[in-house]
Amino acid sequence: MSATGLAIHDLHARVDEKIILKGIDLVVEPGKVHALMGPNGSGKSTLAFSLTGHPKYQVTQGGVTLDGEDLLALAPEKRARLGLFLSFQYPAAIPGVKVANFLHAARQAVRPDGLGPAKFRQLLLDKMDTLDMDPTFLGRYLNDGFSGGEKKRLEMLQLAVLAPKYAVLDETDSGLDVDALRSVGNAVTALRASDEGKNTGFLIITHYPRILQHVTADVVHIMMDGRIVKTGDAELAHRVEREGYDTIREETGALA
Amino acid sequence: MPNAAATAVLDDVARAAALAHYRGTRSGRDKPGRYWKIDLEALELPDALQPGAGTVTFSGVALGIVACDLETAARERGALLDRAYGVTAVRSTKFGALATAYAGLGALVYVARGVAADEPIVITYSCADGQAIFPATVVLLEDGARATIVERFRAGAGALVCTTTELVTGNGSDITYVGVQTLPQDARILASRAALVQRDARVAWAFADLGAELAAASAESTIVGPGARVEVTALFFPSGDQHVDLVTSISHDVGNSTSDTIVKSAATQRGQARYLGNIRIAAHAQQSAASLRDDALLLSKQSHIDSVPALEIAANDVRAFHGATVGAIDREQIFYMESRGIEPREAERMIALGFFEPAIGRFPSEALREELRAALRAKAG
Repeated sequence: MSATGLAIHDLHARVDEKIILKGIDLVVEPGKVHALMGPNGSGKSTLAFSLTGHPKYQVTQGGVTLDGEDLLALAPEKRARLGLFLSFQYPAAIPGVKVANFLHAARQAVRPDGLGPAKFRQLLLDKMDTLDMDPTFLGRYLNDGFSGGEKKRLEMLQLAVLAPKYAVLDETDSGLDVDALRSVGNAVTALRASDEGKNTGFLIITHYPRILQHVTADVVHIMMDGRIVKTGDAELAHRVEREGYDTIREETGALA
Repeated sequence: MPNAAATAVLDDVARAAALAHYRGTRSGRDKPGRYWKIDLEALELPDALQPGAGTVTFSGVALGIVACDLETAARERGALLDRAYGVTAVRSTKFGALATAYAGLGALVYVARGVAADEPIVITYSCADGQAIFPATVVLLEDGARATIVERFRAGAGALVCTTTELVTGNGSDITYVGVQTLPQDARILASRAALVQRDARVAWAFADLGAELAAASAESTIVGPGARVEVTALFFPSGDQHVDLVTSISHDVGNSTSDTIVKSAATQRGQARYLGNIRIAAHAQQSAASLRDDALLLSKQSHIDSVPALEIAANDVRAFHGATVGAIDREQIFYMESRGIEPREAERMIALGFFEPAIGRFPSEALREELRAALRAKAG
């Protein structure tokens, strides 16, 4: 197993009694963009939640290391502090908790650099400017009454503010929303261009290939029925765009 | 020559009658059960009860406002006192009667016609360790008067506070009445409050019950003039072995009146609470609107909150809303915060504080709101 990278080895996981992941092997290297594509129900989001430690998802076999550290031995908040980030498809709404306060608590937890309130606010405003977000976001309650597009932008703002070592972006359903695609693309590009984020490795989970028009993937994986059935370069995503998943399914003999 | 008010407050016959009424009246609340441990029908009172024990102080009293202790009011402001003391039904409730039996400590606040008080008037009642006090707060607003009153208690360990509040409004007057209670953990408070709401007046109650081992409180608002509005905000958070019992009642006796009630409660450890929210709209009180929102958050297995909205609507052209929830924190909310590096306990604390925000936001000053946030944060552990 390589020392650096987000290294997933023979990962099996289940939800309740249902086995969803049946042996995933994948390494996201620092600074690289991996796309994980697959039809609905192939286990993409399960992989995202298993990596981040959602209590409903149980890993039954295999392991994950983050730059050599055993990720699965850690509680979810410790995984985040190690540098793992998940952009949620459907982030929870938390009424009464202001976006600014939440971001401050998260930044302090993940990067305890003791930025004072004024400096932290300036950092937020800079990041929001980069992402073309209205500063009034900061005074709103976390995801409370947010539209789908607003939730997506707030996830991307968190990506920018936390500048993780490895970011898993669950974009399973956002493939048809042009604004959402653009905001994800902008955020990834901006983070990769920043000092804090130039070595961030990405795992972008998607159903539709269209997001890859906004972010160029170095490596593309196709997932079916809990396994990665094919790995290639950006051309593989174009093939999915042209042919859908059926020909790949036939070719690899994957069930699903 | 003694006036009617002085007699009512200090007369021994009246005291004896009130004490008999206390003994003969039921609180109307449920008996102890699996969760709730205190019998309100059979509270143990300290041995030596002294009428008039304790002290009262005021701040924020400006021009056009009279604020004085009850004995002075009975002696020198009897005519004003008579217009408010005993005008509401508060003295016929069980604990209102107990307070009447030992009355003597108290405050009269009078706001003259059209006077708008910018600063909040703060009334502070104090007593020593183990002492029982029976403060009566009497507020009289003339037409168009406007004021904010904040009532506070500084009580020693094991104190008993049995208090009444009566608000009598003038037409078009506006009163915000704040009761914040952070008594010692072994103290008890019984608070009976009532308001008479006249034409185009606004009465806003804001209660925070955060201290004491027992807080049993009631607030009754009777709307007797059209165009009137009542707002009730309550937050409470029993922890340890604390018990909180709150009843809010709003009676729309006339039409074209509105009321809006928000209650946010949480309980942790062995904390217990019960809330009864009564709304009554009389048959002829058409074109009234009433809203009651009541949410309870349980943070531990042994904590419990019983919550009962009770709407009695006899008119057919009204708008009435009520919504109530009781539950634990959503696991998905905690996981979301954990995934951002926040410890689960801190996540729980932040979510619980956020839950109270809609109620906190209705308290009248930022200093007060910050004080409430700090007290709630401390309770959330």
